[in-house]
Amino acid sequence: MEKHNILELIQLFFKYAKIGVKTTLEYKFDRIFITIAIFCREMISITIMYLILLRFVRIKGWELNEMLFLYSFLFLSYSLFVFLFTGIRDFEDMVYWGQFDRILLRPVGLMFQIVASRVDFPATLGHGIVGIILFINTAFSVGIDWNLQNTAYFISALIGGAIIQASIFMVSSCFSFWAIKTMNLRNMIFFNARRFAGYPISFYPSFIQKLLVYIIPFAFVNYFPAQYFLRKPDLAGFWNGYLYLTPLVGAALFTLVYLFWKKGLKHYVSTGNSMY
Amino acid sequence: MALIEVTNLVKDYKISVKKKGLLGAVSSLFIPEYTYKRAVDAIDFAIDSGEAVGFIGPNGAGKSTTVKMLTGILVPTAGAIRVSGLCPYKDRKKNAANIGVVFGQRTQLWWDLPASDTFDLLKYIYKIPDDVYRRNMELFNDLLGLQDFFATPVRQLSLGQRMRADIAASLVHDPNIVLFDEPTIGLDVIAKENIREFINYINKEKDTTILFTTHDMVDIEKTCRRMLIIDKGVIIYDGSVAEIKHRFGKTRTLVVEFSEKYSSIHLPPGVEVVNEQEHKKWLRFSKDEVQVSNLIAKLTQDYNIIDLTVQEPEIEGIIREIYQKGIDFDKENEKQLSGIEVASGLSTD
Repeated sequence: MEKHNILELIQLFFKYAKIGVKTTLEYKFDRIFITIAIFCREMISITIMYLILLRFVRIKGWELNEMLFLYSFLFLSYSLFVFLFTGIRDFEDMVYWGQFDRILLRPVGLMFQIVASRVDFPATLGHGIVGIILFINTAFSVGIDWNLQNTAYFISALIGGAIIQASIFMVSSCFSFWAIKTMNLRNMIFFNARRFAGYPISFYPSFIQKLLVYIIPFAFVNYFPAQYFLRKPDLAGFWNGYLYLTPLVGAALFTLVYLFWKKGLKHYVSTGNSMY
Repeated sequence: MALIEVTNLVKDYKISVKKKGLLGAVSSLFIPEYTYKRAVDAIDFAIDSGEAVGFIGPNGAGKSTTVKMLTGILVPTAGAIRVSGLCPYKDRKKNAANIGVVFGQRTQLWWDLPASDTFDLLKYIYKIPDDVYRRNMELFNDLLGLQDFFATPVRQLSLGQRMRADIAASLVHDPNIVLFDEPTIGLDVIAKENIREFINYINKEKDTTILFTTHDMVDIEKTCRRMLIIDKGVIIYDGSVAEIKHRFGKTRTLVVEFSEKYSSIHLPPGVEVVNEQEHKKWLRFSKDEVQVSNLIAKLTQDYNIIDLTVQEPEIEGIIREIYQKGIDFDKENEKQLSGIEVASGLSTD
């Protein structure tokens, strides 16, 4: 068999997507309710934040609208991450249930199959709609000129942010090769870092700032992209180049984690026959 | 050169030692301890193109581990595997295009969708030309009756239907080697027979090389001429099925439940007591030497009997027997086991 060329891979990707849509539609009502549940959960947290912020009006020079604009990045990039990389999010699950065995038995790239074989539509929509609502309500009132350059920057920042989040998730999936479950640890780290990133990171003591820039680089998911547009005075505490690094950080982090993942693959212990 | 060549293959699993009690659990959280368990212990075998080989052994003997190393799912600890000249885990994609794998315990079909969706996807995964795809689907419809349940969601299929669809899905790309890992598990006699016939067909008509893992001796008899027996990670028999059947398929065990406990009973020559439990005795004999009807007649004449059952040899029993006779092999009668290759590691155990 010849290797798949790029056109055939795209065709195959759409075949997988079709199966993903069909599977979701098998349980229409269930999926709709999950979507609504996710949407409500996230909207409530935003409403509470909104009500609290109303009383403070300005923190370190950030207007309420600007804060919510910062927040919209988190939702939009997370939605994109889930849409593109559900398989990476659920990798531990695939190993646990033995589906990864089957992936290894097919003559297509592993990462391609992992990414193509799953899409979580409820999470994509639930977070996506929240993100869009926030975006529409803020993006045109914070003084952004939506010209071609800015739009292009915005899209690349979203994709970069999605890849950064995928990389964080993939680090944890590497451990499943050694049959170590890290899902809860990962969720704890990921979602707490995300909660920190909900506010401008200049609010925090320098230890947490460093954490969000160098260790779990959530600052590149929303703070720096938002600052590219807003240029609030607290940006002075950071190197200006950070504003443009989101896609690069994403690419570099993903490559690094992918190499680690490849290394771990050699130690993969399939389920059902490790005997103990 | 053989199609599948396995030399000195070893697989160790790293197992974390679970300590007892809460304190132990906490301490192993901080200072994990590991031991290594050897699942496959330096095995060698070769399979030629077009062969159908049965691969049997008790649970945990190393069958699945070996199959998974042949497919490239697991990386061997030591030793070498060549499948069509490829190293399975290094040339994973190329190897995957050549082989088909059926796991009886796990389906490759999309659980929530009709099997037709999986096949549609497989066509693109394996880049199957239209004419080949159509020809194979016709064959599967004829031999496996796929069209009867092709549009039903897989989760609603019976085990037999699901297995037929799974087998077809593993063969739709015309692999030249198919590894069956317990494809008949849990199936009724008719479904088993259907699958055996199909396996025979693809082996004979399509000249597909087959490795067939099962616990059912009948599966092997009906499809394979050669068999490998593995136990505790060691291959203890590699030879013809006929030989094994001839030698070990003849023993029968008569389980007798007496009305009272007899300390010793008179038995005709050729019958030995292999086990005793309360009022029950297990009597073993060869069906060539002793007629079961005679034995029963004699027993009922002399003793009060409540219940009788005749057992045919199971794989576990055959393996035990091979194992024991293998040890005798050096000391006593060489003639008895001529034709059976006994792996060298055996007598040391």
